[in-house]
Amino acid sequence: MTGQAFYVLTALADGPRHGYGIVGEVAELSQGQVKLKIGSLYGVLERLAAGGLIEPDREEARDGRLRRYYRLTTDGRRALAGEAELRAATARVVRARLRLAGPQGAG
Amino acid sequence: MSGDLERRYRRVLRLLPGWYREQWEQDMVAAFLDSWLTGDPEADQFIRKVAGPGWAEVASVAGLAVRLHLGGAGTARRFAWGQAIRRAVLAVTLVNAVRGLDGLVVTAWSRRLLGWLPAPPASMAPRSPGPFPPEVWYLVDYAWIVAFLLLVLRYYRTAQAVAALAIVPDLARVLYGQFTGKFLGPPTGPWALWVLLLLVPVLAMTAFRRDSPAAPRWPWLLALLANYLLVAVPLLALQATGNSAWLPDFSGLYCMLVALACLSHAPRALSRHSAGSGAWSLALILLAADAGAYRIFSIADYLHDPHLIAVSLTELLILAVAVMLVVPGAVRAQAATSAGPRQQQPQPG
Repeated sequence: MTGQAFYVLTALADGPRHGYGIVGEVAELSQGQVKLKIGSLYGVLERLAAGGLIEPDREEARDGRLRRYYRLTTDGRRALAGEAELRAATARVVRARLRLAGPQGAG
Repeated sequence: MSGDLERRYRRVLRLLPGWYREQWEQDMVAAFLDSWLTGDPEADQFIRKVAGPGWAEVASVAGLAVRLHLGGAGTARRFAWGQAIRRAVLAVTLVNAVRGLDGLVVTAWSRRLLGWLPAPPASMAPRSPGPFPPEVWYLVDYAWIVAFLLLVLRYYRTAQAVAALAIVPDLARVLYGQFTGKFLGPPTGPWALWVLLLLVPVLAMTAFRRDSPAAPRWPWLLALLANYLLVAVPLLALQATGNSAWLPDFSGLYCMLVALACLSHAPRALSRHSAGSGAWSLALILLAADAGAYRIFSIADYLHDPHLIAVSLTELLILAVAVMLVVPGAVRAQAATSAGPRQQQPQPG
């Protein structure tokens, strides 16, 4: 799973969001590290939808524009949980190795 | 009023394929405008007049357009071809599994393990070609059945490993035949068999991934049984009753099986109203290419016999006509995948 897909799925973990809502949530989750352009976002959304990990939730009209909301599917929730486990396990290994290397490992 | 900002962005979105725009453009435009507009009418009017998509935004759309036009990972076209390859691999593995089952039954019969049957004719003695004892070939026969079952049961990497081991003795047999001069004619037939029916499917098993859609288990398991009972058993009966002259060689049999599969699929492939037939049409075209190539290379075995060459060419002709009948389904599948995945309608709740 790419980093962008991971962030998009995470942005949808607590409820459906529309396109720009996802962009904002991803920026916040990543503490500003990931700023999705609209073209990149919809590339990720199309892949996730084709893989059955997300699906359209509803459409709402605002200021004359139709906003489509997306939500996680059961498979998407499962894939996100698996990826989160994997990343957490990797982070634990990294921290353990850094501790073993000690401060001198930095030099 | 959406104004110039929206018009400029829509101009950039023209880089994307039409099917993609049809499905996603409104949504992308809405998200793009959300990223610019503030809700203050005066400020928004000014923004709409002067602002436009920056180079990074244009680059992201261009990157997406390239991926979609080339049928990159995650696109519907890639998915259809992936499905077609997986089905073709399953079908070839099924053929090898039926051969394995046939080999095991003949072995059991010749060892009188099937007590209710009369002794088989001497011409049906189990094979022991090449540099290995018969036991190796029993293992190969078993291995193809196991590989097929593992594929159906979704143990993809184990299936690939078992099949990879199963093709080694056949490679040794071809090399042995070539270097000891055992082949009567050019060795193109044995090599074509090894490459097209053994090596290629093993390599193509890579198309099965953990996240690939699972093949329906029962239809494929029943297909193994049905193919054995409807194809292998009648051929075995012909052989056992001394009518081997009626038997096609394996290459001819493969061509006829694929031709029959094409003919049975043709009504769906030719129907404009049939949904979901595209991946099967593509799979049958792949199988026909495999069978046709094997038939062409194995004609070299019959250079001494004009009658057998004529039979081989007739088999090729039948295969070519049959495969033409499924081409419309494949063309439609390609057009449909160019038109993108089926639109998912928002569901309430």
